[in-house]
Amino acid sequence: MVESTKKACIATVIDNDAIKRRFGRLTIQLEGEAARCFEQVKPGQFAQIRLSEAALPHPDHITNDLADIACRQIILRRPFSFCNVTVDSPTRARVEILYCVLGPGTLRMTTLSKGDKISIIGPLGNGFSVPAGKKLALLVAGGMGAPPLQHMAAYLKADFPKVRTFAFVGAKTLGDLPFTVEGLESGKPVITEFAKAGAESHIATDDGSAGFRGFVTECLTDWLKANKPAPDETIIYSCGPEPMLAEVARLAAQYEIDCQVSMERMMACGIGLCQSCAVECKVGGKDKTVYKLCCKDGPVFDAREVVFERR
Amino acid sequence: MSADKVDINVDFAGIRLENPVVTASGTCGYADELADFMDIGELGGFITKSITLNPRKGNPTPRIVETDAGMLNAIGLANIGLEKFIEEKLPIIENLSVPVFVNVAGESINDYVAVVERLAGEDVISGIELNISCPNVKAGGITFGTDPKQVEKITKAVKKAAGAKTLIVKLTPAVTDIAVTARAAVEAGADALSLVNTFTAMVIDIESQRPFLANRTGGLSGPAIKPIAVYLVNKVYSEVAKRAGVPILGGGGIRTAADAIEFIIGGATAVAVGTATFIEPDAAVRIVEGIKEYCVRKNVSNIKDLTGKLK
Repeated sequence: MVESTKKACIATVIDNDAIKRRFGRLTIQLEGEAARCFEQVKPGQFAQIRLSEAALPHPDHITNDLADIACRQIILRRPFSFCNVTVDSPTRARVEILYCVLGPGTLRMTTLSKGDKISIIGPLGNGFSVPAGKKLALLVAGGMGAPPLQHMAAYLKADFPKVRTFAFVGAKTLGDLPFTVEGLESGKPVITEFAKAGAESHIATDDGSAGFRGFVTECLTDWLKANKPAPDETIIYSCGPEPMLAEVARLAAQYEIDCQVSMERMMACGIGLCQSCAVECKVGGKDKTVYKLCCKDGPVFDAREVVFERR
Repeated sequence: MSADKVDINVDFAGIRLENPVVTASGTCGYADELADFMDIGELGGFITKSITLNPRKGNPTPRIVETDAGMLNAIGLANIGLEKFIEEKLPIIENLSVPVFVNVAGESINDYVAVVERLAGEDVISGIELNISCPNVKAGGITFGTDPKQVEKITKAVKKAAGAKTLIVKLTPAVTDIAVTARAAVEAGADALSLVNTFTAMVIDIESQRPFLANRTGGLSGPAIKPIAVYLVNKVYSEVAKRAGVPILGGGGIRTAADAIEFIIGGATAVAVGTATFIEPDAAVRIVEGIKEYCVRKNVSNIKDLTGKLK
């Protein structure tokens, strides 16, 4: 039997910090065989976390916009990508997850505290890959698409030190960026977490509260126009809302740059059983398409094969 | 009583199951995906995802949505089709040590017959589960399962095509009196009955004021449906199956051994674990252990003594 690279296991919570109004950074530790599964983890892979047993916050700490949804009895696991993974010994790994408090699952996530045990299944799916000959990586993130790209920046720095990396990170407003932002006064703010991972960052906010005013794709367009990167040596990695990914894919095609996108779908199992997380993909030219599974065939896809949904 | 004295094997329409727990169709793929998480040999049996004559892409996304203590799915019978199933999946199934039942769906009686005739010649398959209860496809599926005359007609045709293979007919709960369709299936030659399939349901997104699922409706499964499923199993057992000597494969929201035991006491010879597998991939084998423990505690030396023992 081939040794499995994914596991259902129990992780220990090391830390769970609240960030700004509605974000959190959960750090969990895995030991033994479970840790070994994370040795070869690639950015863009994910884990299914069981949150149904975690407690809800006290009602006083649940904001009005989430009060109704907080009442829901959840049963399914929730998929999360990683913003950082460190394997400090062959049998001990630390996994960091950046989350946005949006519903009954992530509300429960906020109450996890040091020492708590949680059930996770992972790492799952296929992460980003680095084709031979690439010298420039452009990371394009929108909203909660940023965490796996932070992981990607660190991975590139460690394993592909010759690849120059730029990050373009978009959000509605400064408060929606779950990161430390420096240099706001200078007008050229950067994200500390990306800087530490060796990536120069460009911030775009819809309201101009930090960096470029407008969509991150507009910021990327300006950069591509000004810098004219060599297509063969450049690759774009992107994660974020689907309309943004569609626009990034369009730009990549226009500039003939390779592009990998990390997709998101509602999923029940995360391991290819339920067939919920279908992503429409082109096959063999023409108009023929098939549904691939986000959990098993993705979540990272070549941008050229994806038929993006416009809803 | 000690655990090794407890006999939990069952005779399911002439097929010996080492224990009464099987995985429900559509929640366990074709066995390859689950092998990473458990030894399928520990199950009583295995039921594949639905197979149709031709491959089916399935429905657009979203295909699932979580609800209180349950979920809706509208996958739309996405599957690789009969030929590919035989080519790619049968060799995997061949290696399983447990009885395997293939769930068969179709749009016309001819479709069902063609698939079953072909499968009837495959030695590795123990039986057929006839899916006339899928709520998520436009043609076929549930339209057969709600009309007793159609149930009779299709069961007869498929029974003939199935030859020596055990024929399980999977019933829908979407009828006024499930005993009527159960009787129609039994009188037409069903060797066993399987119930229940999911309940047609809808979730509305109040922001967009549209149904959440692309298919508009989906099938409700999970703990939310369990008490209804237990009631229906007991109704079919006492009004039809007991007298006819036809075993029931009972299921609907089974998550724990206690849930499974309710179904058995209510009249199920074997139980199907479905949605729970999405949450804990090895849920079914955990349930096997729990059933044994219950038997020890209740001094039940043979699980058969528990079937239909509702007072």
